Amino acid sequence: MLSIIGKDVHVQFPIYDPRMRSLKYSLGLKHLTKGLGRISTKGWNVGGQIGAGETGRIVVKALDGVSFEISEGDRVALLGHNGSGKTTLLRTLAGIYEPSSGTIQASGRVFPLFDLQLGMDLDATGIENIWMRGKMLGLTTSEIKNSLDDIADFTELAEYLYMPIRAYSTGMALRLAFAISTAVTPEILVLDEMISAGDAAFISRADARLKEFLARTGILVIASHSMPMVRRWCNKGMLLEQGKILAHGPLEDVVSVYEAKIAAERQLTQAV
Amino acid sequence: MGSRRFRMLALTSRQLDSAVDDLATGLSSWRLSHFLAWQDVKQRYRRSTLGPIWTTLSFGIQIFTMGFLSAFLFGAELSKSLPYVCAGMLLWALITQILNDGAGLFVASSRYITQIKCPLTVFLLQTIWRNLIIAGHNVIIYVVIALFFIVVPSVSILLLPLGLLLVVICLSPMALVLGIVSARYRDVPLIVTNIITLLFWLTPLMYFPEQLGKKRFIADYNPFTHIIALVREPLLGGTATLNDWLVVLAITVVGWVGAFLFFARFRSRIVYWL
Repeated sequence: MLSIIGKDVHVQFPIYDPRMRSLKYSLGLKHLTKGLGRISTKGWNVGGQIGAGETGRIVVKALDGVSFEISEGDRVALLGHNGSGKTTLLRTLAGIYEPSSGTIQASGRVFPLFDLQLGMDLDATGIENIWMRGKMLGLTTSEIKNSLDDIADFTELAEYLYMPIRAYSTGMALRLAFAISTAVTPEILVLDEMISAGDAAFISRADARLKEFLARTGILVIASHSMPMVRRWCNKGMLLEQGKILAHGPLEDVVSVYEAKIAAERQLTQAV
Repeated sequence: MGSRRFRMLALTSRQLDSAVDDLATGLSSWRLSHFLAWQDVKQRYRRSTLGPIWTTLSFGIQIFTMGFLSAFLFGAELSKSLPYVCAGMLLWALITQILNDGAGLFVASSRYITQIKCPLTVFLLQTIWRNLIIAGHNVIIYVVIALFFIVVPSVSILLLPLGLLLVVICLSPMALVLGIVSARYRDVPLIVTNIITLLFWLTPLMYFPEQLGKKRFIADYNPFTHIIALVREPLLGGTATLNDWLVVLAITVVGWVGAFLFFARFRSRIVYWL
């Protein structure tokens, strides 16, 4: 049974800009954060809270004590403003950021897919790139060998597969990256915005492949701003603001909270 | 202030466990490091007819210049000085590349480190592998020189693989620590380059340690003298002394203990610094 359980997870980003540090000493941290706090309460709070970390350094509190439970079959949409902590939460789920306090326990292998073209080399051929990207995704040699034909069929790149991808159009390169990335069977898939294969003419085939790919996935966690996309692929929602979870539950409940927030914000900005 | 400094150095058992885990999974996925290293080398070959051979060529030119200069300045015979300089520089090039690349270790791989979960050890191994492959190219120059001057290796050449292995294991913790510090303080790679230039003159590469006369201690107390001896001596038909072995072994053990603790303490922070 796949699951991810987060308990009181905090993630803080230290700010190392030397000017910031000298500011801290000359003006005093309290003064600095107080000013910021006042500005941000005017509208919807943007970004994580800025404060003092354990060692007295200025930190951005990207995740501020989040607890949650995600179980097998969940398709969770992460909603929230820019800087609300969606990407940080995704990367923490993927094990890239280790929480500064609290724990995240994932039973099952987490498979992050943030940059489809990570590990690809412009001067290498399509085939070589399938190998490189495959290795980067953690596939074994035999797994890559087995999916070579499938990828070649799907991309329809034919002899282009033997050319350096520098010669490809953007759409062709994306198609290849998409095909390789969707050749795996992830237990827990973590996405920042829905992946796509670009090309308009290609869209129905890509869509079918995506559907199949997501169906094989045990748990999906995806950050997105697109409501139609979220409604299509997700069954759960999680709303973040300033690194805290405002709502977590059935998708429509969370979406309605989210949309009410957006409406309120719009009214506020119009009033100003 | 005292308590803060203490907290900086405090290690939890969880940190130690994750560091052990990182090293273990990193070592067991050596295939990935190996693959990435070859990709780096291949990339140098692409769209270039000679690729890394260019490095070999410039290495060759450097060796000949240094060899002749050494013979001329220090009055050694060319048949002695050229193989000596070449064998020493072969290793020196490896050492400096590993240390220089080590300083850029995590910064250079930041795209991977911030996108996927991967043991950091993988990138350390990648750096070591890549530089071993490139050093392999330079061996051509040594073979040419050794054949020309008929340098006959003795039985001690059997110790060469062991010596090289120890050298690499000895350099790894240095690269690791430099990589961690450089991720946090971006001036460090530049400092490293400067120190290496300084060490070049203090290490017997162009001259023999005996030629230092009363100032021989400069070479004797320089760890790199001993590191180089482990590979240079067997190549030249001699043997590294027991002292060389013991010194390098001691540096390796101390280096690894220190680097491991340092790595355990800061491993999870590295991604935040990138």
